[in-house]
Amino acid sequence: MNVDKIEKEIMSIISDISGFDIEEINLDTKLADQLEIDSIKAIEIVVAIEKKYKILIRDEDVPKIITVREAVDLVNKLVR
Amino acid sequence: MTTTNKEIYDAVIIGAGISGLICGCYLAKAGMKVLIAEQHHKPGGYCTTFKRKGFSFDATAHCFGGYRENGMTRKVFEDLGINKKIKIIRSDPASQVVMADKEVFFWSDVNKTIHSFQAAFPDESNEIENFFYFLIKPNPSSFSRIRSSSFGDLLNDYFKNEKLKSILSAPLLGIGGLPSSQMSAFIGAKLFSEFLIDGGYYPEGGMQTLSDAIADRFRELGGELKLSCLVSKIKVKDNKIRGIIIEKEGFIPSNYVISNCDARQTFLKLIGKTVIPQDFILKIKKMTPSLSDFILYIGTDGNFESSLIPGINLCFFLHYDLERAYLAARKCDIDGFGGFLLHVAHDKSTILAYIPASYKNKSYWDNNKHNFMEFLVKQIEKYAVPNLSKHILYKEAASPHTLHRYTLNYRGASYGWAGTSSQLADPDLRKPSFIQGLYLTGHWATLGVGISGVIYVGYDTAKLIVRKEKIGV
Repeated sequence: MNVDKIEKEIMSIISDISGFDIEEINLDTKLADQLEIDSIKAIEIVVAIEKKYKILIRDEDVPKIITVREAVDLVNKLVR
Repeated sequence: MTTTNKEIYDAVIIGAGISGLICGCYLAKAGMKVLIAEQHHKPGGYCTTFKRKGFSFDATAHCFGGYRENGMTRKVFEDLGINKKIKIIRSDPASQVVMADKEVFFWSDVNKTIHSFQAAFPDESNEIENFFYFLIKPNPSSFSRIRSSSFGDLLNDYFKNEKLKSILSAPLLGIGGLPSSQMSAFIGAKLFSEFLIDGGYYPEGGMQTLSDAIADRFRELGGELKLSCLVSKIKVKDNKIRGIIIEKEGFIPSNYVISNCDARQTFLKLIGKTVIPQDFILKIKKMTPSLSDFILYIGTDGNFESSLIPGINLCFFLHYDLERAYLAARKCDIDGFGGFLLHVAHDKSTILAYIPASYKNKSYWDNNKHNFMEFLVKQIEKYAVPNLSKHILYKEAASPHTLHRYTLNYRGASYGWAGTSSQLADPDLRKPSFIQGLYLTGHWATLGVGISGVIYVGYDTAKLIVRKEKIGV
């Protein structure tokens, strides 16, 4: 799967769930600090990613997702 | 298509439940032109009050949570000035759980609550403290890491004592309709922290006062609330929201539709199967709604003697086997359930008692409603309010069919979808990807239950729309 494509798709999911414009989001954007992602929104993002890529993200990996980059890296690892 | 109303709304909200009202207030506050259409003749959804023979009964919800400093309910009420319109009182302790040989209290001071549990279960003293601090500490990731666990798994991580685990699960069976083995750890933890540890708040004058105050605020902010107004269709064209059709009024154009009503009805009836992807229809048909409730309303002379503190929520069980109680509730086996939930009004004028129950059919309730009422009165008399019968001036009951009739919630579901981890945070039940401009809010949006839960969803839904419109939050 194309890495750039995954990057864009995940940014789009995060944009949808946070309500922030996709232009305001880059790989280094911090989910909690910059996009007001609280625990339920973190769960929404994880569920949306799981559904899109048909993967399973372990619960213990969820708190490790601090920036968009960690979400993208995790998906890249899991879809391979 | 005929347009009888030329006005175009920025957003139409279907249903004036608490979540719809809160969402409407924020959208109107941001300058949007908003209509809320409610089929009932009063706003509030499950947060309404009705009057009979001089008594005022809260129909279902009978208190709310999350009103601590920095709590979500307080933040929203302060944002909107709701707290200036109503007086909020709180009983202390707010809740009491009694099971066979043990009892615990939920006090406004969480340390007092912890001590209450430690006194009942001294062997698990440290774990009790750890558990409560896990629930109240404001770490944003602590709840997201329990996403796929059940509340039972969470309790097993902390405790060994089965009675303690039951006593922590019992109120959740009452206010969430699931045993701990099936309830999502996230939903259980949220209910616990928002409704038990920080619960028992009450708008003086009854729950309707709260709904009316939010509705008033909505109107003051320029919103339009239509009561007794049944929406019959949500119009979608080219995968985009166009508006709604109101019975007798016709088509009302709108850029956004926010559904605060039953999710199955939203998709299968209001939008229609031709617009929705087949796999989504199958999914929604397979999803499980929460249980409903059988509710007994008692008007009293106010002179009864009881050790119960007025305003308190009592969760009472004769036993510790909540799996059995849940199965009994599903079968509407009131005796097998072996307990009840009870709320005494602050002025002792009324008592509300309830047990979770399934929908069954109309004739079942026609035949059994009276027996259920009598059985519950006897149970309350035996275990909570001695000689209650002598003080009853009026009694009435609501079955799951009554709840359905007044709110149109599928099968009278009390909490939207069942709060299992597999049904948590489904993106398509929040903001379906296949229809632009459609949002769901309230307890069917799979994010939260209880008044504080639906307030959060209403606030957040408005925030998403306002950000999209770039008109500032």
